[in-house]
Amino acid sequence: MYEAVHAHPDGEATVARHAATAARHGYDGIVVRTRDALAAAGNGGGSTAADGDGSPICDPEALREEYGIDVVDAVEIDADDPTSASGAVGNYRSDRTVVCVVGGDDALNRFAVEQARVDVLVRPMASGGDFNHVLAKAARDNGVRVEFDFGPALRATGGKRVRALADLRKLREIVDHYDAPYVVSANARSHLGLRAPRELVAVGEAIGFDAEAVREGLRAWGDLVERNRERRSEGFIEPGVRRGRYEEDG
Amino acid sequence: MKHLPKHLRPRWRYLAVGIESWADTEIGRRAFQRALWYSAGNLLGDAGSADADLTLLSFAHADGTGEAVVRVRHGHVDDARAAIACVSEVDGEPVGILVRGISGTVRACEERYMGRATASSTQRDVAFEGAERPAVVRGDACDLRGESGRVGATMFDTE
Repeated sequence: MYEAVHAHPDGEATVARHAATAARHGYDGIVVRTRDALAAAGNGGGSTAADGDGSPICDPEALREEYGIDVVDAVEIDADDPTSASGAVGNYRSDRTVVCVVGGDDALNRFAVEQARVDVLVRPMASGGDFNHVLAKAARDNGVRVEFDFGPALRATGGKRVRALADLRKLREIVDHYDAPYVVSANARSHLGLRAPRELVAVGEAIGFDAEAVREGLRAWGDLVERNRERRSEGFIEPGVRRGRYEEDG
Repeated sequence: MKHLPKHLRPRWRYLAVGIESWADTEIGRRAFQRALWYSAGNLLGDAGSADADLTLLSFAHADGTGEAVVRVRHGHVDDARAAIACVSEVDGEPVGILVRGISGTVRACEERYMGRATASSTQRDVAFEGAERPAVVRGDACDLRGESGRVGATMFDTE
């Protein structure tokens, strides 16, 4: 199971601290949503342990070796309107393993689910955004995953939390009905915000999710990463077509 | 009062809970208990909260790390786990929570999950983001103040 986190400078913990904590919590890997926190995979990494200037480690390979869990470079595109989001998606698609678009605005939600190049629509219900059957169908057809953000359920209180839970329920019912793909995350901004998979499953059950659905949502990050790595590998041409040696068939 | 016959006594499960916070914060037993019940009350309601119980049996916290044993009524462990996971702040200080395991007796719980030797913490300056910054180092973990507030790093980051 994977979890997607905000790392320093966007969050309060470095990628390494997130990785160490997530490993202790039993995750198989973390997806780092913050673009500045991690070098793109395959670029040989930015700073390594050897450079000595004390900037946080941002080489996924080194982190993977040190903490024994997968560290995935991702980007979260937080744009004001679909036009600039579209430009950003085009820019980052080729060098990031996972591309997320921050929703929370009707136009942006619509844009994200209609772009097959986008992997995940994150926080679709935050700050007044809404979701409906049209978006759910588009998400399903384009294979864009919709995120269930457990952050407010874990950290907010009072009316804010009630509204967030109501939104989660609405989103769940729509996504369920149209079988749209989804992911689950606690949206941790620091290592203290991380919760173990079993805890997230328990919280999910308490707020009306199916236990298996939450587990599936956590696994979905891993499936996504695997698919995208395969797509970015050299031999890949299109789904089902690979460049390689001829197969000897008898 | 005379104690209950055995078949009427409630059956308990004991949850070993690991607690993590910033190194410079103090978390008290009463505050943690209050946060637990508050979280259960909010998530499960009064009825669910009464069912789960969530009494703190033992608690220790120092230098940003701690552990606790929480008593939960048998059959309400999942609810309790959810309530525990929703403890995100104690007295306004953010905390990280991990349920290490569950046992049927306090003793088994303590023997199996508690008292893990945690590395002692030391205060020293580390290099981070191009400057020497005072930090509290505990094992691999390293809590420091960066330009924009607190940062959780590791020794791997600062070497």
